[in-house]
Amino acid sequence: MAHLQKERVLIAAIGDEDSVTGLLLAGIGHMDSKQKPNFLVVDSKTPLPKIEETFQEFTNRKDIAIILVTQQVGDEIRHLLDDYTQAFPTILEIPSKDRPYDPSKDSVLKRVQRLFGEEGDVVVAQCGRGVAFKHQDTDYATTK
Amino acid sequence: MSGAGPRFAIFPTRMALTTMKNRLKGAQTGHSLLKRKSEALTRRFRDIVKKIDEVGHFEYSGGAAKRKMGKIMQVANFSYAEVMYTTGDIGYQVREGVKSAQLKVRAKSENVSGVQLPAFEMYVDGSNAAELTGLGRGGAQIQKCKETYKKAIEVLVELASLQTAFVILDEVIKVTNRRVNAIEHVIIPKIENTIKFIGSELDEADREEFYRLKKVQGKKKDKLALETAAREKNQGFGAASEEAQPTNLLNEYEQDPDVMF
Amino acid sequence: MEALFFNVEDGFLEAMVRGYKAGILTNNNYLNLTQCETLDDLKLQLAATDYGNFLQNEPSPLATTTIADKARETLVSHFMYMRANAVKPLSTFLDFITYSYMIDNTILLITGTLHERDTNELLERCHPLGIFDGIAALCVATNVSELYNTVMVESPLAPYFEKCLSAQDLDEMNIEIIRNTLYKAYLEDFYNYCQGLGGPTAEVMGEILQFEADRRVLNITLNSLDTELSKDDRAKLFPTCGRLYPEGTMKLARADDSDQVRMALDSYPDYKQFFDLPVGSERSLEDKFFEYEVHLNKRSFTRQFQYGVFYAYLKLKEQEIRNIVWIAECIAQQQKERINSYITIF
Repeated sequence: MAHLQKERVLIAAIGDEDSVTGLLLAGIGHMDSKQKPNFLVVDSKTPLPKIEETFQEFTNRKDIAIILVTQQVGDEIRHLLDDYTQAFPTILEIPSKDRPYDPSKDSVLKRVQRLFGEEGDVVVAQCGRGVAFKHQDTDYATTK
Repeated sequence: MSGAGPRFAIFPTRMALTTMKNRLKGAQTGHSLLKRKSEALTRRFRDIVKKIDEVGHFEYSGGAAKRKMGKIMQVANFSYAEVMYTTGDIGYQVREGVKSAQLKVRAKSENVSGVQLPAFEMYVDGSNAAELTGLGRGGAQIQKCKETYKKAIEVLVELASLQTAFVILDEVIKVTNRRVNAIEHVIIPKIENTIKFIGSELDEADREEFYRLKKVQGKKKDKLALETAAREKNQGFGAASEEAQPTNLLNEYEQDPDVMF
Repeated sequence: MEALFFNVEDGFLEAMVRGYKAGILTNNNYLNLTQCETLDDLKLQLAATDYGNFLQNEPSPLATTTIADKARETLVSHFMYMRANAVKPLSTFLDFITYSYMIDNTILLITGTLHERDTNELLERCHPLGIFDGIAALCVATNVSELYNTVMVESPLAPYFEKCLSAQDLDEMNIEIIRNTLYKAYLEDFYNYCQGLGGPTAEVMGEILQFEADRRVLNITLNSLDTELSKDDRAKLFPTCGRLYPEGTMKLARADDSDQVRMALDSYPDYKQFFDLPVGSERSLEDKFFEYEVHLNKRSFTRQFQYGVFYAYLKLKEQEIRNIVWIAECIAQQQKERINSYITIF
């Protein structure tokens, strides 16, 4: 299935002004043919629906491989992050500029941590969770 | 015995038994294969979890292992503070100057027990967009900041691949384990039940057949005994006549004159 | 001669600016600031200085940008007060100072307008010192030539635009090159104006502006090494009013790497020493420049009856704001080991 991901080459970013600017400086910024950027600067005046909408848009775009979200913004759209189960694009929470990183909030790390606590029996932990992933079963059913 | 537990609705014949035995064998092979796959994936999964942990994560209460990502992002953010110090706010300019991405990722895939795990790889494509930013002032800081962020993004990309692998493996392991468990606890017992059922049904039929044969034999024996008895009786009577030639039944008629019309 | 009549018109303002200067943070203040653990501590410490309660109405948690904005606001209000009370030629001199901010603002608006950004957001981002009457009109323009015409009509920068840029350039040139071209024209103009004023102003400002010009020359050279900027284009961005002009700039225009830049500076010991950075030092070339700039600006206060103090005050205050923001950043990002990289003024 990896061959389907060849189109995914961009790194998108949602975060505070300084973090996003830094990432853009490094060269991740991209304007597509419709002049749509692959980043969003969130400040105190940015309305929540706008963030949500942008996040959804990024997750549905076919050219984005990774979405970087600063934790501060991540907290605002936590419900979306927690419900996000797609493998592509990957959501990665990064630390905000002036706030120490809190791993216990990170949606993916929460899953990691849950496994970490149950290190002894990952399998059980695995089975115990999620029928929600049902729709993906077929994708990975490689062995019969 | 054969009634306990679910079984396939099947007519208990010898042929069905052979089919079932084959199916059992298949299920067992499948089970051990899937189990092995699941184990391989789980091992990989733990590796990844461990790695995510190293690259990204938990700050243990001892404070020894500071997160690599946290740290590198901190350095990057700080280098941006240096830019702000020398150049002033360039954020707007940088954002407006965005044209096309210079840093991109490509996904390579790695095959773990038939599961494709993507590994993102960062690559630089095209020219440096903000090359002249800070020309009059602070260019050096901006370049430095750029490099720092680039390095940070490298780590982030690595982490992102691990995370994607984590999510995918998570799903696959779940599915595989569900299958392993299904085979182990549902399919195999069902087949075994069916086999037992067919076995017992066949045994039953065997027993019936045996009994029937026994019965037939008994009947035959009775008959034989009767015949023998009768013969013995006959022998007692006609010991003399026994000497005589067997009479030709036709003889009686031979003496009859032919009826002529 | 100038000492005789200076105070008639500018005495009050000179007194003002010297008073303001006395409020610039001293080394002791900085020591206190660097001891702070949180930005709220910093706010408390700053309240004890001339900044007073400038952060009073800001809700916690404070952002470093808020501190920067608020500190800049106080500076701007000081400057505006002086500008409002100034008469010619001091008022013209103060206007000249604001032109450099106008350049940045105009560039910002050009970039924003070309990308059809929200006008209000753009205006909010402009430096308050660089606001001019017709600034909003720039946002109305929809295409490049219209924009060019508006700039020519509305902005005080028109002569600089006229001198070195055409509407076509605006469309094709890299925005950074436009900025630096304008800045070069501005510096030269400002320098000539100061020389025209004569007297101690010409001396003091001459020195400061010469350094500013040379700093730009060096920066442009160093930052354009290994870039798409051709050597000819590079030479066009060099201000011609510095001490490096003409011999040094000629050599620098041809430099291919930093060693050649160093060699070009052989006959300028003042500048050459900037490059003698100890290995592994956290001080960068820019820091050295800042230090030297602070040194020159401080020195201008030793002369009386001249306008250099106004310029110097503004620049020192800007450095101070940079210092405060730096310290705030260090505190916010918990990078205390670098906190002492600020540049002490007094």
